[in-house]
Parts: sequence; C-alpha cells; structure tokens
Amino acid sequence: MTATTTVEDVVGQPLGVYTRPRGGNGWRDWITTVDHKKIGILYGVAALFFFVVGGIEALLIRLQLATPNGTVLGADMYNQVFTMHGVTMIFLAAMPLSAAFANYLIPLQIGARDVALPRLNALSFWVFLAGGIVLNLSWVLGGAPDGGWFGYAPNTGIVFSPSPGMDFYALGLQMTGIASLVSSINLTVTILNMRAPGMTLFRMPVFTWMILVTQLLLVFAMPVIAVALFLLAFSRLFGARFFDPSVGGDALLWQHLFWIFGHPEVYILILPSFGIISEVIPTFSRKPIFGYPFMVFSGIAIGFMGWGVWAHHMFVSGIGPISVAAFSLSTMFIAVPTGVKILNWMATMWGGRIKFSAPMLFAVGVVSMFTIGGLSGVTHAISPADTQQTDTYYIVAHFHYVIFGGIIFGLFAGLYFWWPKVFGHQLSDLIGKVNFWVMLVGFNLTFGPMHVLGLQGMARRIDSYSPGFGFEFWNMVSTIGSFLIALSIAIFVVNVIRSAMKAKGQPPCGPDPWDARSLEWLTPNPTPVHDFDEIPVVESLDEFWHRKYGTDENGRVVRVASAEEVCQDGSAVGVHLPSPSFWPIVFAAGLPFIALGLIFNLWLTVPGGLLVVMAIYAWVFEPVDDPDAAHGDVSEVADTTEEAPVV
Amino acid sequence: MSEAAATDHATTTGMSHNKLAMWVFLGSECLLFGALISTYLVYRGRFATGPAPGDIFDIPFTSVSSFVLLMSSLTMVLALSAIKRGDLRNNRIWLLTTALLGSLFIGGQVYEFTTFFREGLGYTTSPFSSAFFTLTGFHGVHVSIGILMLMSMFISSLRGSLRKEHSETVEIIGLYWHFVDIVWIFIFSVIYLVPSPTS
Amino acid sequence: MIRKYLRTRGPTAVGLGVLTFLTGCAADAELDTLNPQGPSARSIDNLFDPVFYVAVVVFIFVFAGTFIIWWRFRDDHDDEEFPHQFHGDTRLELAWTIVPTLILVVISVFTLITLRGLNETEANAVTIEVGGTATQWEPEVVVVGQQWWWEFRYYLNGLDGVDLTDARHLPPADIVTANQMVIPAGEEIELSVTSRDVIHSFWIPALNGKKDAAPGRVHPWKLEADEPGVYFGQCTEFCGLSHSRMRMQVVAVTLDDFAAWVAEQLQPAAEPQAAAAQRGMEIYQSQCARCHVIDGFNDNDGADLVANAAPNLTHLMSRTTYAGGIFNMYEPDGSLDRTQLEAWLRNSPAEKPAYAEGRRGMPAMGLDEGQIDDVVAYLTTLGRAPSLDVIAATEVE
Repeated sequence: MTATTTVEDVVGQPLGVYTRPRGGNGWRDWITTVDHKKIGILYGVAALFFFVVGGIEALLIRLQLATPNGTVLGADMYNQVFTMHGVTMIFLAAMPLSAAFANYLIPLQIGARDVALPRLNALSFWVFLAGGIVLNLSWVLGGAPDGGWFGYAPNTGIVFSPSPGMDFYALGLQMTGIASLVSSINLTVTILNMRAPGMTLFRMPVFTWMILVTQLLLVFAMPVIAVALFLLAFSRLFGARFFDPSVGGDALLWQHLFWIFGHPEVYILILPSFGIISEVIPTFSRKPIFGYPFMVFSGIAIGFMGWGVWAHHMFVSGIGPISVAAFSLSTMFIAVPTGVKILNWMATMWGGRIKFSAPMLFAVGVVSMFTIGGLSGVTHAISPADTQQTDTYYIVAHFHYVIFGGIIFGLFAGLYFWWPKVFGHQLSDLIGKVNFWVMLVGFNLTFGPMHVLGLQGMARRIDSYSPGFGFEFWNMVSTIGSFLIALSIAIFVVNVIRSAMKAKGQPPCGPDPWDARSLEWLTPNPTPVHDFDEIPVVESLDEFWHRKYGTDENGRVVRVASAEEVCQDGSAVGVHLPSPSFWPIVFAAGLPFIALGLIFNLWLTVPGGLLVVMAIYAWVFEPVDDPDAAHGDVSEVADTTEEAPVV
Repeated sequence: MSEAAATDHATTTGMSHNKLAMWVFLGSECLLFGALISTYLVYRGRFATGPAPGDIFDIPFTSVSSFVLLMSSLTMVLALSAIKRGDLRNNRIWLLTTALLGSLFIGGQVYEFTTFFREGLGYTTSPFSSAFFTLTGFHGVHVSIGILMLMSMFISSLRGSLRKEHSETVEIIGLYWHFVDIVWIFIFSVIYLVPSPTS
Repeated sequence: MIRKYLRTRGPTAVGLGVLTFLTGCAADAELDTLNPQGPSARSIDNLFDPVFYVAVVVFIFVFAGTFIIWWRFRDDHDDEEFPHQFHGDTRLELAWTIVPTLILVVISVFTLITLRGLNETEANAVTIEVGGTATQWEPEVVVVGQQWWWEFRYYLNGLDGVDLTDARHLPPADIVTANQMVIPAGEEIELSVTSRDVIHSFWIPALNGKKDAAPGRVHPWKLEADEPGVYFGQCTEFCGLSHSRMRMQVVAVTLDDFAAWVAEQLQPAAEPQAAAAQRGMEIYQSQCARCHVIDGFNDNDGADLVANAAPNLTHLMSRTTYAGGIFNMYEPDGSLDRTQLEAWLRNSPAEKPAYAEGRRGMPAMGLDEGQIDDVVAYLTTLGRAPSLDVIAATEVE
C-alpha cells in the first residue's frame, strides 16, 4: 500500500488494482499531471483568467461610480459585483498567481526535480479550480455573494442575505482554503526537505525564503478562516446561533476570526512579490542583493509581526481603547521591516549598472508604488486618524497601492522575467515597456484620486453618491484610469500572443537571457521535464552567477565561463519521475457536488462524497509508480515517488 | 517509505517528506482547534433560554470516556512498536484495539449528544449549544477519520500488504492519533474541568 | 531636480500634491474629513496633518532617490563590465532600521495622547425646560442604526438604569427622532451607539471619527460642534442593499434654541381638525401604525419589521429630510416638497431600494391618489417646520 522500490512489490500488492496513467500528451496529460512545472502553468493560466474576470467586475464598479447616482448596475447587482471583485482578485487571482510562481520555481531554485508530494500538488490546483468555479457558479444559481469579501456578520446571515450567494462564498472559499493549505504544507516540506547538496537555508534565493515564510503563514492562517467559514456555513445552512445577537451571539467574533486570518493574508499576498523583485533587481543592477540577511530576517519579522496587527481593521468596531492603542502601535512598527526592504532594494540598485528591461521597470514600479501604499498605511496606523479614514475611499486607495502597486506589478515583473524560463522565448521588451507605462499611468489615475475622495468623505461600498459632495471629478478621473489599466492588460495579452507567434519555428532563446543569478537558470529554457540533468552541488548564494563569474587579482569581476558552458543541456535520459495520477482531479470533482448539495439538495452530496472517498482510497492504494514509465535507469529514483497513505 | 529508500535518498532534514508533512499539518490543526476553542470560550456563558453548561454536563461520564481515548494512545504506541519489531500479529491486535477504544469514545459522544438533546440542548438552541456541538463535533470527526485510517491499516495488514517496512505509515497515522488525543485533553479541560456557568 | 521629477512623474505626484490642498478647499464638500468643526475632529486632524507631511517627506526622499539612482546608474553602454560588487553594510542597515523606528516612536507618543483625549468624557449638564420646570440634562443621545436609517433617542432623566443591551426593545424615551440629531452647540454630547439589525457605522466627519453601531453592543462615543450649524454624515459600515442611502445630519443650535426644540418635541401629536387630515389619520391607523409610532396616538412597542422599529413620526414636519436622510421634506422656499413625499407614499421601494418582502424597509402601501392626498394632509399636521435657514442648510441633493 505504500512506497516500494521493486517491481515485484508493486505487482504483488493485492489492492494495487489501479493502474497509473502514463505521461501521454494532449488534455489527458494536463489533467493527470503531477509535474510541478505544468501545475505551475495551470495555476498561472487559471489565475490570469480570474484576473480578467475580476478586472471586468472592477470596470463595472468604475462605470457605476463614474457619475453621481449611477444606474449601470443598480444597488443589488453592485453589491454582488464589488463582493465578487474582492473575492476573485484575492483568492482566485493574486494568491494562485503567486502559487504559480512558487510551484514552478521553488524546486528549480533549490535544486530539486519536483515538489515533495507531487500528487498533493495536483490536488491543490484542482481543488482551487473547483472552488473558483463554485464561487462563480453563484452568478447563475440564485445570485452572487453580496456581503462584501470581508463578509461581516450578521449582515451575511440568512435573514439579511437570503439569496444563496453567501453559501457559495462560505463553501467556495472553504475549497480554495483547502487548496492553499495543501499547497502550503507541500511547499514547506519541499523547501525544508529537498534542497540540493550545499543549499543551506542561507544560500536560498530571497524568493525561496519569501515563499517559505508565505507558506508558513498559510499553514497557520488558513485553519482560522476555515473555522470562520464553517461557523458562517453552519449558521446559514443548519441554523447555528453563532452570529445571532438576539440570543447573545457576538457581532465581533466573525471580525476577529476573519482578520486573524485576513491580516496575515495581506503578507501572504505581498511576500511572494517581494521575493520576485528581490530576484529581478539584483539581476538587472548586476549586483548582489544588498543585505541578504536583512532581507531574509525582515521577511521573517513581517511574518511574525503580521500576526499581531489584525485588530487595526477594527479600530472603530467597538473594541476597547487599550486594544486600539496596542494594535495601533504594533501596526506602526510593522512598517519598520517593510521600510528596510524598500531601502535595501534601493541600495541594491545604488552603484549598479541598471538595465531597464521590462521586468526591471515593473520591479521599480513595486518599490515606488508600494512605498505610497506603505506610507498611507502609516497614516491610518495612527488609530485616531483611522477613525476618519476607515471605510472610506482613502482605504481603498491605500490597499490598491499595496495590492496592485505592490503585488500585481511584482507578479508582472515575474511574468516578464521568467517567461523565457517557462516557454523558451522572451516576451517583446518594447511592448513590455509600453505595457508598464500604460499600467503605471492607468493605475495612478485610478487609485491616486481615491486618496482625495476618501479624505473628502466618500464612503466605501456605496453603490451611488449624490452630487454636491465634491466627488464627481475624481470619480470620473478614476474611471478613465481604470480603462487605461484594462488597456495595459490588453497590451500584455497582445504581447503574449505576438511573441508566441514570432517564436514559432524558432529555436528556443539561449539558456540565460538576463544574465541571471539563481539556480533555476542552470536548466535550459524551456525547462526540460526532468528539470536538472544532474542535481547541482551548491557552494554559494547566487550559485549560477558564481559559476559564470569570478574575480581577477584586482578584485574586478571577470567572466570565467559562458552561460552555455555552465548550463545543463537537458539531454539526460532515464530520469525517473513520479507518475501522473487521475485521483487528484477526481477528488476535486467531488467537492462541487458536496457544496451544491449542501446549498440546494442534500442528495447531491452523496455522489460528491462517493467521488471523494473513492479518490482517497484509490490514491492511497495506487501503485506508487508505473514501472514501465521508467526511462530504464531504475537506480535514479526520485525521492518524490514515495507517498504513504496520508490523506 | 521503505527503509531502504529512506537511506538511499536522504532528505535535507533526515525526516521523510510524509512525516514532515504530517507535522506541518498538525501545526495547522492546532490553529483550527485553537479558533474553535476560542469560540467556545466566548460563548460558554451565552445559553439564552436554553440549558447552561453547568446544568447538563455529566463530568464523571465524560471523564471515563476521556480515559478510554487516552488509553488508545497507549495501544497506538504498542501497535507501532509491534510493527517495528516485525510482529505483524500484535500490530494487528493493537491497531484493532486502538480503533475499538476510539469507537468507544465516539459511542460515548453520541450518547452524550443524544442525552443533551433530550434535555433541551439542540444545535440551534443558543450560541453556547452551537459552539459546544461544533467544537466537540469537529473533534469527533477527527477521531472518526482516525478510526477509518486505523481500520484501513488493519484490513491491509490482514491482506498482507502492511509489513515491517511500512512501519512509518503506522507511525505517521499514530502522530495524527496522538494529536487528536492531546487536543481532547485541552478540550476536556476547557469545557468540563473549568467551572461552568449555570442558569 | 525633485520638482522636475515630480512634474515628469505625472499622476502620482499630481495626485498627492493636489490631495493636500484640494481636499481642504473643495467648496461644497460637506463630508470633508480635513475640515474639523469640533474639538474631537480637530484633535484628529492635528495628529493626521503632521504625520501626513512626514509621509510626504519620506515619499519625496524615496522617489527622489529612485529617480537619482535611475538616472545615475543607468546602463547606457552595453558591455560586460560589472560594477563594484558589495553585499551590504550592516551599519547603514542598522541606521535605516533605527531611524524609522525613532520617527515612529515619536508619532506613537502623539497617537497615544490623542487617543486618550478622544476617549475622555467631560460632558456638562445643560439646563432645559421639561413640563414647565427647569431641569439639568446630561447631554446624552442614544444612536440606533437599522436598515437603512438612524434613530436618535433622548432620555432627559439620564441613562442611569436605562437598559440599552437589547436595541430591538429599548425603554421608552422622552424624544425619539430620526435622521437628524439636534444638539446644543459648544457642548460635548455623549453618544451610546447601537444597532437593531446589522452593523452600521455612525460618522459625522466634521465633528469626530466614526464608531460602529453593532447589535447587542453599546459603544460610547462623543460629539461636539464648535458653532451652530449643520454637519453631514453617512453610514460607513456596509449594511446591505441601501447602505449608500443611509445618511444623517447633526443640527447644532444655540442652547436656547435647543431648549425650545426639546419643549416642542415633548408635545404629543394633536388631533387633526381638517376632514382630509382626519381621513388620513384613519389610513395611518390601519396601514402605517403597524410599524410607525406617533406619540399620543399609538405607542405600540415594536413594528412588523426585522429591526422592530420604524421612524417615529410625532414631529415628522420638524425634520427636513426623511427616508434615511436622502429626500428633502421642503422646497427651498419652505413649502412642502409634495411631489417627492407622494412618490414615497405611492411606492417607496421604487424611490429607495429595500427588501420590503423580507420586512426590511417600507413596502408599497397600495394607496390610491385620494388616500395619498389624505395621508399627506395628516402628516403635515405632525410637528412644525423649522426656519428657512435650517431648511437651506440641511438641503440634500
């Protein structure tokens, strides 16, 4: 029932009646893959799709608010759209796009051939996708969630939100939460347990470090939101009294649970982006990262302090003045490690020879735009000022400078930077630069004016406003800006399609298009299915760069080897890889039945439950490997092929 | 993971992926139960017009069933030590005993729930009742999943596919089982041993 | 160079530069947070302004730094030469850990001082006349939010012994009004903020920050207006369908005017004289009285609504807005805005989104035009219109 190393054992297992699918090609390959690279690509495609969906919702919001007394959506539809905009962008776009980078790059950056538990990796993607589909099914099955992404009780109760929307919210987010938890356990184990020889913790790239911190935050934050969502679901579906004030239910319990998850969530979102630009900026400055230990420790510090600031979302909620004071102070001081990072990035650039290719532009965009978000953050860390600003557009401006300016720009830097790694050709740098500038202008036009609107007293989540409060001009500017952002996304899509067409029939780009520094570039572009021909032995931070460059007697940097000489050529054969599996997608396919069954008809949970149970048992008793799928070199068994029946 | 493989493919930490994954998962579970226990603590005094915790708890009964669950940790240890020695017969006996003790605990919980329900404490009676049933129910589901895993191992063993080299599987499921027991110690203390409000 | 940079960098710089002054001097911005009209709001503003300028300085430092680096270290000759490879400087890094920490320590001291001030109360009793005898009143107002309007309750004998924990069943108050809170200017008013259904947030930006109104909880807060005037507010916690149409005003008046207002509000409704108004009263009794209350006519506790309350109409005409503060009762010349009021009585969900079928919000009553005229005739007997000044100052668009 568990890992074995010989063919006889596999054949001899009485319960090993399921055969594992072989590699194959076409769609079958994609739905059964356990390859971290393919799962990364699946994550990326799904996340970008949902990013466009959330973007369309954002444009609808901006159209509704472009003029006073807007009538584009109407109050009810507006509430659904802004709720789903937040849910989609955070849970279905930003988090999975980070997961895409983590999945694809982490094994490569630590010198491994896959993640620790490849089938769990596939499971996390399919469960995420199922959750995203369930959430969006609400549009056609009785109405989308209308209680805000933050879902404050008791407004989300069955009395105040009678449509099934909030049920979809509770159950759909529960599914994406399971996906995140599974993925975070997997990546944590991968980073701790699968590093190449010599890859000590303090030789890991900053990106890997930030992903490790992020995964640990997820490990501990996800169960808290899971409990909150269970309480909500049980209240709505089974009549539990958690949030019913008439019998003593506390209106603030949800808020505490939600923000104990919700604030670490902010760092879950931002740290991968910090990691990405910590790879991009040194590469394009042709200098090592300034203060690597400081960068790592500030990331860890943010991870720890992120747990002690949640109630700054609740300064006006009625918690006592002592709590307000304590959380006000802790929130102020979390700005310190963040500020250290900003200054270290600037110091990395200082004295460099900076090439302003598209990834670098986006990375500098993060440094500058995130700074604005961080500074406005300090202005409401001071809790008295927050009583004026909270739930106004000033906050909307603040967190979009953090999430869009800090995260989306960073993820785009990553997309442009690692595109050749993944697809074997570069995106057009010129179009990339246009993409950046249009996005930067559009972004600032959209969210800059919201600072003004917020200070003028425009409340959040209002579906319309009256003329006469001075809101008209800046709302119109903001709406125009939002369409510039949409244009910049269109430019990106054009860039992707055009670059792919140009690359067709051409040989892949060289192994090292950016003169990069970390281990993933040791493999050819695009990455071969087995990642490394042989597992590298690591001797320093920025291993790949140090293999290319040395210093002469004057201490000047000289090239000692060309990239072609250093890089592996991907020609190894017979590398044994984990076999694909059907069961992750079967497991995930059961969950939407259970969710819809809980909402509409309990009988539906039966086929859903059967699918899940079947998938678990089939998974556990699945032959660990298809022996025929080995490339002949049986001695080269990857660590990753062994899994015990842990469900 | 077979022991041969474990020595051939040393991991960075020396611990197998599966075992490390279980440890990380249990870390996550701490927060799950932490949040549920916090919810209960907030709501233990909010019983509205329904029964108060101090009115209905039968502490001697629950103490006995708690003792049964704690004993199952001991039998789990015996099961693991048996399979490590290659003593498959004793391994089976102790796996089955552990599962039976777990089932006894679940049976006690079902009895307790039905008694409470008859005394007027439904799931929807008050914030206290919802929090109580949710917390203990979540724990009960965890025990039940553990029983399923134990029984799956027991059947595998009968079919001859759980052998000495699979002792780590028993160890990992044992980790889970011990965790569920330890959580119960906390839950039992918080719910039953801390003096409860009465109506 | 910085100035040039700010100019070239376009929207960001413009956005923030403009922010500083535009928000302060927008001519017609009743919700402006940077235009304090009372001590609490002023103390917040006095804290926010310097922090904002510190943030601007840091912003300029980072942006200027980025631009200088950008310009000075750009690679314009594409060769293989590498710059000096330095890995860090512990002293420098310690410096830029410690300096921001010190700045934040200073800010936190002022934050704590301001926070303490905002949580201190020092309300003085004011003299008002109740039933012909002068009495001392601790200025306390109970603020109750519900979907989607605000209620203000005045207990003239003080709040001692008044149980506010269940907002759906509050003890009878001396004065109950809606959407417009009348207070004496120059006096600190203590608020007890609560809610009858979901969480709302009470916010009068010119007078103080906001405070959530949560069911089952009573949150203390305070207000003080320096001068008589009208101060606008908006519910700021998302509370469902008509969250954006849940507004309120604080009308601060002189102490004398306030005493007169109290005396007037204490009068129960009088029996209407005109025939139309009497017919309207009968319609009120059969239809409206299921939810609404008119002191001296029906004082049933509780309404056929989730929130268990609808606006008290005893002195409806003394209020210049209705339906959650979104419609004007009067034309600028002081005459009744009959068209709007009739539309509201005809089909209120069409005027303001609500879930009448879920007993949240006023349903369409199915009155015919004659009945509507009668009801308007009755409603206009309830209370006395305020002065033209107040009508002008409280006008909403």
